Amino acid sequence: MKGFLAASWRIAAKDLRIELRTKEVVVTTGLFALLVVVLSSLAFYLSKGLAERLAPGVLWIAIAFSGVMAVGRSWERERDNQVLRALLLAPIPRGALFVGKLLANLLFVFAIEAIVLPLTALFFHVDLLPILPMLLALMALGTLGFVAAGTLFGALAARSSNARDLVLSLVVFPLIAPALLGAVVATRDLFAGASVAELFGWIRALAAFDLIFLAAGVVLFDPLLAD
Amino acid sequence: MSADTQQPFTTVRTEGLTKLYGRTPALVTVDVELHARQVTVIEGANGSGKSTLVQLLAQLARPTRGTIAYGQLTGADARRHVGLLAHAPMLYPDLTGMENLTLFASLYGVDGSLDTLRERFELGRFADRPTRTCSRGQLQRLALARALLAKPALLLLDEPSTGLDVRGVERLAAVIDDERERGAIVALVTHDAAFADRMADRRIRLSRGRVSEAAA
Repeated sequence: MKGFLAASWRIAAKDLRIELRTKEVVVTTGLFALLVVVLSSLAFYLSKGLAERLAPGVLWIAIAFSGVMAVGRSWERERDNQVLRALLLAPIPRGALFVGKLLANLLFVFAIEAIVLPLTALFFHVDLLPILPMLLALMALGTLGFVAAGTLFGALAARSSNARDLVLSLVVFPLIAPALLGAVVATRDLFAGASVAELFGWIRALAAFDLIFLAAGVVLFDPLLAD
Repeated sequence: MSADTQQPFTTVRTEGLTKLYGRTPALVTVDVELHARQVTVIEGANGSGKSTLVQLLAQLARPTRGTIAYGQLTGADARRHVGLLAHAPMLYPDLTGMENLTLFASLYGVDGSLDTLRERFELGRFADRPTRTCSRGQLQRLALARALLAKPALLLLDEPSTGLDVRGVERLAAVIDDERERGAIVALVTHDAAFADRMADRRIRLSRGRVSEAAA
């Protein structure tokens, strides 16, 4: 287990080092997310009440689209110069490769969320402070599931010789739809004043989705990557 | 103790190795044996299955049928002892050469300094720059260092001399000679007939996914 975690961390640390050097993933996808929020606020801001009701959808659309782009770009790095082959050849559990990429991708998407959330609150006049702890928990749960699914199938797309974005979009978006639906509805209810007890069902569903995709990633990563 | 007995295995044997992509056969019941201290050149036209055989030997693809025995080892236990050098350097362009080598050394559990590799492969100051700024010859030196850092028992070389200048080819030939002397099993896929003639101890010719000729 220690070796598994150490290998995962090495993979994640490598991605973080590259990102700190290039800033390619977070800056490009973060700007895209920012654009979604700004354009949505310009297009849909009709009144404060309506804006508050639109905010959860805009927030999750920005996160989902930019997140899938970030995961795809992160796997592209493994495709450049065919480095993925060298990683697959290395004597580490292939599940550790999945966990390492997942960890790095999560940090990328959390960084994007750190930009998007306050801007969404600003542009859509949402008072975040009273609901912030619960909102962060919902965002963490929702993000973990879809990034896990994206990381799992992003690897498959990275090994495809063509139509990689198509593969990623066609496979990942249907798979993450339940998690996104849960996250959007739970966030909407939270903005509308729902209590923790009222949101508990959604939290449980999101946690279950996360566990399924984490386990599926560790178990299926090796067979999915085998030609 | 001879160099051979230090290796975790000294033969690699395939039996009935078959690989289908969909319904298209890439390899059909291939039985080959590779030996330590020999450079086996795998020849054949484009699409004959050479690279597929290398992929299977490197465990980067799974056979549809058949087996590969790495001495007494199988699966992931054997993977640790396989080195692969291909035309693509398999290095991160945004990391320096040494950062790449340090990463792979840590994944292979290779402890200690990489100074020996630096010296052996003449990794000059270019190894401290992002590899995207390196020339083809410099990349190949770094890729060789990556492939050999864990002293593999099986060294797979898939078109390693493509794009190298004369000096690069000489350096590559010297490394292959060293690896043969060390006791490694070397499998070389190349379209460079002169290079193949120079390096080959044995030849295996593939045609349409089948072994058409094997000669000592």
